[in-house]
Amino acid sequence: MKNSFDEKILEEANDWIEANQKVVLATVIQTWGSSPRQVGSRMIVNEKGDFSGSVSGGCVESAVVRECMGLIKDNKSCKKIEFKVSNESAWEVGLACGGEIAVYLEQIT
Amino acid sequence: MKYSQLKEIIKKKASKTEFAIVTNLENGLSEIYEPKKSLSKNFDTHKDQIDNFFKLKKNGIIENTEVFVETYIRPIKVIIVGAVHIAQYLVDFAKSLNFEISIIDPRGYFASEQRFPDIKIINKWPDEAFKEIETNENSALIALTHDPKIDDPALQHALKKKFYYIGALGSKKTHESRCLRLKETGFSDEQIKSINGPIGIKLGGKSAPEIALSIIAQLVSVTYKK
Repeated sequence: MKNSFDEKILEEANDWIEANQKVVLATVIQTWGSSPRQVGSRMIVNEKGDFSGSVSGGCVESAVVRECMGLIKDNKSCKKIEFKVSNESAWEVGLACGGEIAVYLEQIT
Repeated sequence: MKYSQLKEIIKKKASKTEFAIVTNLENGLSEIYEPKKSLSKNFDTHKDQIDNFFKLKKNGIIENTEVFVETYIRPIKVIIVGAVHIAQYLVDFAKSLNFEISIIDPRGYFASEQRFPDIKIINKWPDEAFKEIETNENSALIALTHDPKIDDPALQHALKKKFYYIGALGSKKTHESRCLRLKETGFSDEQIKSINGPIGIKLGGKSAPEIALSIIAQLVSVTYKK
């Protein structure tokens, strides 16, 4: 049976917005091979780069924060990013698990 | 995602409704799916596949599309009998694991709101209390009073309703006499064997938070075996 483990990230996003922060929601939408977080895992990022939640075991969070801040700066609504082992940015931030993940970023407007 | 939609999702989660969020990854459009409601024309063509993800309680991208489905399922109901010290730690663990907790204890001085803030406490004997909680084979029971007057009727209810997890606190000896009583009441050996007694996995700890941890660990492990 599946339990609905829930990290209350959406609730936290709401708190941030109520505090007049801009929020980007990052969601793991696809994984290949061994990846630390399952599909549906989430993190939120604000315009200052504060973040909560996770999309990996700490491997790609810094890159996701950068991308999310960029999305707010460019005032774009959404973006899909992939992290692969062969991919340069993944090498830089290090997906040590050897897996691949796709993360979807969307600004809450 | 629109802010209004985020608020709607939070509201649905709080009211323990089952639903899904469907998102078009290309244009960012998203909406809330509910099994009996129709979808807008943006997603209607994928209705069957979305239904399928929802039934399987699965998250993912629908094959050959750019549509992402994320399902929200109701938390598992855990009923704790006995508003004792261990229960206070259980409540803390269960919250971060998103179990939905109710506590039954007819003894008012134990089951006070001050000891268990924000938890549904039913200050009645189990037979009466279970009339207020809808339970089924996806429910779990943790019996902590080791008082047969309180634990036994709750265990009987859980066995009859085929709870997927039933655990009862007490020594091996206490558990043996508990099993005997249940047998005399007419429960089969197989039913009685489904009770985890003494409750919890063996961690070696003796303090209230350690026992609570061993119980919650067993509950999670049984949840995923099912």
